[in-house]
Amino acid sequence: MPEGRRGGATVAWLGERARAFGDVWRVFRRHRAARLALSVLVAVGVATPAAVVLLAVDPEAISADVLVAPSLQHVLGTDYLGRDILARVLHGVNTSLVVGIGVALIGMATGLVLGSLAGYYGGWTDHLIMRTADALLIIPTFFLVLAIAFIFGGRLVFVVVLLGVTTWPQIARIVRAEVLALREEAFVLGARALGVGDAKLMFREILPNTLPPVIAMVALLASSGILTEASLSFLGVGDPNVVSLGQMLTSGLEYATSAWWVPAFPGAAIFVLVLLLNVVGDGLNVALNPRLRSSLA
Amino acid sequence: MSLVTYVAGRLVQSAMLVLLVITLGFFLMRLAPGDPVLYLYGAQNMSAETLANIRRQWGLDAPVWQQYLTHLAHLLRGDLGYSQINQQPVGTMLRRIVPNTLLLMIPSLVLATTLGVLLGVAASRRLNSWGDYLISAVSMVGYSTPPFWLGIVFIVIFASGLRWLPTQGMSTLGGAAHGLAGALDVAAHMVLPLGVLVWWYLAAFARLTRASMLEESRKPYLMTARMKGLSEFRVVYRHALRNAARPVVTILGLHLGTMFAGAVMTEVVFAWPGMGRLTFNAIIQHDYPVVLGVFTVIGVAVVLANLAADLLYAVLDPRIRYA
Repeated sequence: MPEGRRGGATVAWLGERARAFGDVWRVFRRHRAARLALSVLVAVGVATPAAVVLLAVDPEAISADVLVAPSLQHVLGTDYLGRDILARVLHGVNTSLVVGIGVALIGMATGLVLGSLAGYYGGWTDHLIMRTADALLIIPTFFLVLAIAFIFGGRLVFVVVLLGVTTWPQIARIVRAEVLALREEAFVLGARALGVGDAKLMFREILPNTLPPVIAMVALLASSGILTEASLSFLGVGDPNVVSLGQMLTSGLEYATSAWWVPAFPGAAIFVLVLLLNVVGDGLNVALNPRLRSSLA
Repeated sequence: MSLVTYVAGRLVQSAMLVLLVITLGFFLMRLAPGDPVLYLYGAQNMSAETLANIRRQWGLDAPVWQQYLTHLAHLLRGDLGYSQINQQPVGTMLRRIVPNTLLLMIPSLVLATTLGVLLGVAASRRLNSWGDYLISAVSMVGYSTPPFWLGIVFIVIFASGLRWLPTQGMSTLGGAAHGLAGALDVAAHMVLPLGVLVWWYLAAFARLTRASMLEESRKPYLMTARMKGLSEFRVVYRHALRNAARPVVTILGLHLGTMFAGAVMTEVVFAWPGMGRLTFNAIIQHDYPVVLGVFTVIGVAVVLANLAADLLYAVLDPRIRYA
């Protein structure tokens, strides 16, 4: 095939993708709550790291102003070591954002690869991958990750990887079902008849078509990742070298009745992050799930 | 596939999963840092020979597979290992404490199922009405509330602000009340943790029921039922809900581990003497056998609960029986 024609095909392919994306965006925009949540989430995602870098307030800086209630000087008050809670919450939100993005990316990548291998090759590959997926779905992964992180130490990267590689089954199931359906479609059979290889068929023809339902899951993966990481550090298996909202909650627990702002604000931050992601996930689901879409569009 | 094949398949799968949980627990225990023999006797200036003798006595010098088989045999007898830090068998610790966790989990599951299913059905009946939006919004918020944070909010509002309810523990300290007074004391301590769990579980039940009922509502058998002149109540609750319940039960079975996790977190906030408190303390004390015992027990319980749900449905639902 001459270079020029292949380039043209790529442009056409990209155009088709862009059109599909435009359609999805149009439906997503109608979901007002999801649109609002996405805007806030993007604002938080930009503002928090910026605030952490620009203001450069040390979250560990202790002071004599111990357990000061929220005031103009300390907007969210201070904790039992006189540390500024706003600075700590900002750092904690940063950690949670990293966790959410990391878990979603790892979970999605693992699910895409394993799901498409299972669907494309079938047979023993399929059997092995899908039985592993079933096992991971039934076995309580929270306690498994808790036990592993407890024994090997809960370094943040390690916890993120653990959470990522235990959340792939749902993605893999969706991808596998899509691949099974697409494998026999005319455009795939046509490409195969033209001598297109396995890898190219998979990445160029099949995978892009499995993406919509997978993308619908991304926000939910991120939200459950954030909640689980917070829960793990709340129980004491988090990374001691990172400011984490879950750890702030545990250490603030004993001040719940005397200095409510110590545990209340880190918890509220987790709640808001998870809620925003779940609402966005809901909107994505409506926009990308053809069955729900027809009722709205 | 006949019912027998289906049941046999699920039994084999569950047995393998139980074995997987146990095996994971065993190997994680072997990888845990620290030598139990040195931990107990290291400070007593024993000779290497004595230590080796103790090791042999405990079976620690046997090959791994032999230790694994011993471990399996112990588990069959309900022996979950020994916590050197607490000087107690893990099984004894858990047996004393599991009922307290169930005392929180079972009533909250019952309450949350009933309320959640009713709300989910109500929302699906009046699709896109204000009631539907309200129920969906509330369950979205409920589903997103971290249980440990909701517990703290409850403590701040009801206990330190309004001073209505006790917030810590399972009974009033020093009040060795028996009979009715004792039961009422425990009930008062239960209100807030129960509230947290019901709020959290309820949201999941309502969301799932709504989605599942919507799926059913499109099917023609409901129109048939209506055309037969059945009352709307019968159509919705006897026909649609019965079919809509299956995916709800299946998905909730898969969420059971998360529900245990929620209970664990809630217990920590309210100092409830259950598995959560036990796990929390074990993590602080670096008590590995206890944490792995909790993992094994919850893992096996979740696998068995999923099996029970599936088998129950295989018996109740003719589509599985004859499919």
